Amino acid sequence: MFDKILIANRGEIAVRIIRACKELGIRTLAVYSEADADSLHVQLADEAICIGKAPSAESYLKIDRIISAAEVGDVEAIHPGYGFLAENAHFAEVCENCNIKFIGPPSSAIRAMGDKVAARETARKAGVSIVPGSDGPIDKESDALKVARKIGYPVIIKAAGGGGGRGMRIAHNDPSLVKAFHTARSEAERAFANASVYLEKYIENPRHIEFQILADRKGKVLHLGERDCSLQRRHQKLLEESPSPALTNDLRKKMGKAAIKVAESVGYINAGTIEMLLDASGDFYFIEMNTRIQVEHPVTEEVTGIDIVKEQIRIAAGEELGYDQKAIEPLKHAIECRINAEDPFNNFQSCPGRIEFLITPGGHGVRVDTHVYAGYTISSHYDSMIAKLICYGRDRRTAMDRMARALDEFLIRGIKTTIPLHKLILKDPNFRRGRYSTAFIDRLLAASQPLVPAKPEESSLKSQAA
Amino acid sequence: MELEQIKAIIAMMRENDLSEFSIEQDGLKIRIKRGPEGFQQTVSIAPQAPAPAAAAPVAAAAPVSAAAEVAAAASEAAPAGVKYITSPMVGTFYRAPSPDAPPYIENGRTVDEETVVCIIEAMKVMNEIKAEIRGVITEVLVDNAKPVEFGQKLFAVRVK
Repeated sequence: MFDKILIANRGEIAVRIIRACKELGIRTLAVYSEADADSLHVQLADEAICIGKAPSAESYLKIDRIISAAEVGDVEAIHPGYGFLAENAHFAEVCENCNIKFIGPPSSAIRAMGDKVAARETARKAGVSIVPGSDGPIDKESDALKVARKIGYPVIIKAAGGGGGRGMRIAHNDPSLVKAFHTARSEAERAFANASVYLEKYIENPRHIEFQILADRKGKVLHLGERDCSLQRRHQKLLEESPSPALTNDLRKKMGKAAIKVAESVGYINAGTIEMLLDASGDFYFIEMNTRIQVEHPVTEEVTGIDIVKEQIRIAAGEELGYDQKAIEPLKHAIECRINAEDPFNNFQSCPGRIEFLITPGGHGVRVDTHVYAGYTISSHYDSMIAKLICYGRDRRTAMDRMARALDEFLIRGIKTTIPLHKLILKDPNFRRGRYSTAFIDRLLAASQPLVPAKPEESSLKSQAA
Repeated sequence: MELEQIKAIIAMMRENDLSEFSIEQDGLKIRIKRGPEGFQQTVSIAPQAPAPAAAAPVAAAAPVSAAAEVAAAASEAAPAGVKYITSPMVGTFYRAPSPDAPPYIENGRTVDEETVVCIIEAMKVMNEIKAEIRGVITEVLVDNAKPVEFGQKLFAVRVK
């Protein structure tokens, strides 16, 4: 087992990793930017090294400084968390060359799955259905139009170089395709330094179902069940749950097997997630694989009882998975709400600022993963997620009632958050029945506008100015 | 400047028994010195130039951007007229170019922008750090061979 690990990340996931290390008796070294000097992960780690100024490009993305810190700190392994360098194959290679264990898959697997176009081909070769689409990247507007007409509108344009909703555009006809093609390319260029895009048939109102994979160095690949992540806004997940209300046991078995096949075909090791779309007729399609720990991993942890971060560390240290697929079953139902420092009723404008007052919910079946505390100032340099609220219970009804109760207890003063939106979701009759798709959030937002009246002073000021 | 070009320069120096070579192009300045222990490479890069990727044996070093982050710490006001030379990288701090050489500077030494004040070693590359300000060294804040982080104060300088 490792003696000391460097956590190449920040925020709640850095806290999460430090917690797992502490429980395993591993010493921790945190790295931080100047903006994160007061951050919780810095306080919790055994040691901390400042690696640069606030912008990520000058700190958390600086491979040379992170490796320097690893050498200065004499660590044996680096956990990259999610985002930043977690899916950077070059970084994984640099670690390998410097004899530092990268806690994640081999760089070859990161590369294979990082290229979203190649990943589709890999899945297809493994005998798993993929969404009909372009055979490779599309560089010319004319090719985009050709493919779109062949597979039929609507289509979705996606970045080949990365996910997370960036570089994605939907088009319903030729003119909108042309516009979308160019916007997607420039967004992809900015997000991934790679303008390459590909096309897929846009499946209307699918459910987004992903399977958590764990694989050890001896070639054992298991799945820990699915997470339903259909509740998204602009391709960013807001709420996740497991088991999915849409899956029968039969479908779960089929999709789980498919997920394992894809992971096996790239010689996958460590934790990963296979993302799929499920359409209204019960057909599923591979869309991509994420070769890292994911934000929503706590959902699976509470359902299966397995500590995924600890398993990541153990696998990287050379241990074998000590159980088989048969031993993994859903013991609970779990739901996670991502709490962001955003105003859901003002176009999700981000609200950095100081948290003046904070009460986190508690009690039976409630878990809060966060890096914030009362008095902490949320910086504008990083993403807006400030906490994950996970509620679980013996069945879906219990988990939902618990989540509604916990959201009512969750008090954050000083900044606006998405808690009010989550309360609306938990009250929605279709959500409660488990009937939703990726179209749900937009519809809910459109329908909820009348519920938020303008303040009287605001309207009178506006009419005076007019 | 590509790694292959740097290797070619080193090979040429060896063949022709040159001890020092420097070149400036496209906002990139490289000086390669050949000493008894082998080649030492220092790279300084003007702010606009892109950073080379890190880590190969005779590697391109991390860019050494302006070392003089001259701001008093928010919590402790610096004594009037004193500024600090801070570390532009993460690594190990050395006072001298080699173990038996004298330190680059001591207290009382007058420095200007180009004066080399120390070495920070990162990933096997020795980076010469320049003062980037003018003044007199009043305090050496880090011991030899100790690790330093980004932004850490290295020297106190009384500015004129």
